[in-house]
Amino acid sequence: MHEVSLMENLLAIVEKAAADQGGSPVNLVHLRIGEMAGVNADALRFAFEIMRKGTAAEGAELEIERVPLRVRCRRCGAEEHPRDFVFICGGCGGSDVEIIGGREMEVDYILVRDDATDAEAADA
Amino acid sequence: MHEIRVGEDLRGENERIAEENRRELAGRGIVSLNVMSAPGAGKTSLLLRTIPLLKGRYSVGVIEGDIQTTTDAERIATLGIPVYQIETGGVCHLDAGMVHSALHRLDLDAIDLLFIENVGNLVCPAEFDLGEDARVMLLSVAEGDDKPKKYPLMFRESRLLLLNKIDLLPHVSFDVAKARREAREINPALDIIEVSCTTGAGIDRWIEWIDGCVAASRRR
Repeated sequence: MHEVSLMENLLAIVEKAAADQGGSPVNLVHLRIGEMAGVNADALRFAFEIMRKGTAAEGAELEIERVPLRVRCRRCGAEEHPRDFVFICGGCGGSDVEIIGGREMEVDYILVRDDATDAEAADA
Repeated sequence: MHEIRVGEDLRGENERIAEENRRELAGRGIVSLNVMSAPGAGKTSLLLRTIPLLKGRYSVGVIEGDIQTTTDAERIATLGIPVYQIETGGVCHLDAGMVHSALHRLDLDAIDLLFIENVGNLVCPAEFDLGEDARVMLLSVAEGDDKPKKYPLMFRESRLLLLNKIDLLPHVSFDVAKARREAREINPALDIIEVSCTTGAGIDRWIEWIDGCVAASRRR
């Protein structure tokens, strides 16, 4: 279980990004989690619920996008989704394949409220 | 409402400190190995078996990681080498920051080969770069031959797999060929050595591997 320490990092990243925009409240945090990232999405959600209080993300929703595993063969260039974690190229049978997606654990973007326009929208 | 692109990795801070550790260790000519496995696979026993055989050739130091207790560090200390125990207090893995603090509590001038024994866990340690030169994992045959498929990241991230407790093979249903094949499907470049810390089988090959790793790291 390291989701709590990862969530501390997430909240620090979100705080900084929001502060750079003048400290507007954050409505949504979009997180990308790779298929082969050693993190549990449910545990992250749980950590977010209990840790967001008092931060810029206090009123935010956490949206998690799962990123499938993708590999590219360094020999023939073929790209594929390895089945069953077999890192052998389906094209040429080569064993020198690199992971090009599926290891992510990143804050992709956040949505922040524009106070003026959002207040108008609320009034309307 | 508007969107702010962020694109920052949750492990970014760990990566930054790991690079600092890597630079500091390289600057001092210290080669480091991050030793990972499930609890009870034999990490400490491996070090107790190995370190006396390295005496005279390397000045060995050890960082021990455990959730609680200092018993592993006490066992290592009987070898008369520098050892520092990290108690993570519930955290399931070592991170670069913990190792950074530990490095400053060891006499680094007295070390040229550093073993970092990670917390017993087949999942989380694989995510956290400590700044080591290479990752070594142990899988004991008592754990079962299905582990590569169940914990692919650890096998993918390791440079060497030590199949430990091979003296128990007559007593457990562990298919060595299957475990080797499935581990190499995940990581075709993985080195695999079969060892027993009880009988000493294969330990000579493990020490040759360490020699090769040290030589390659020093060339860089």
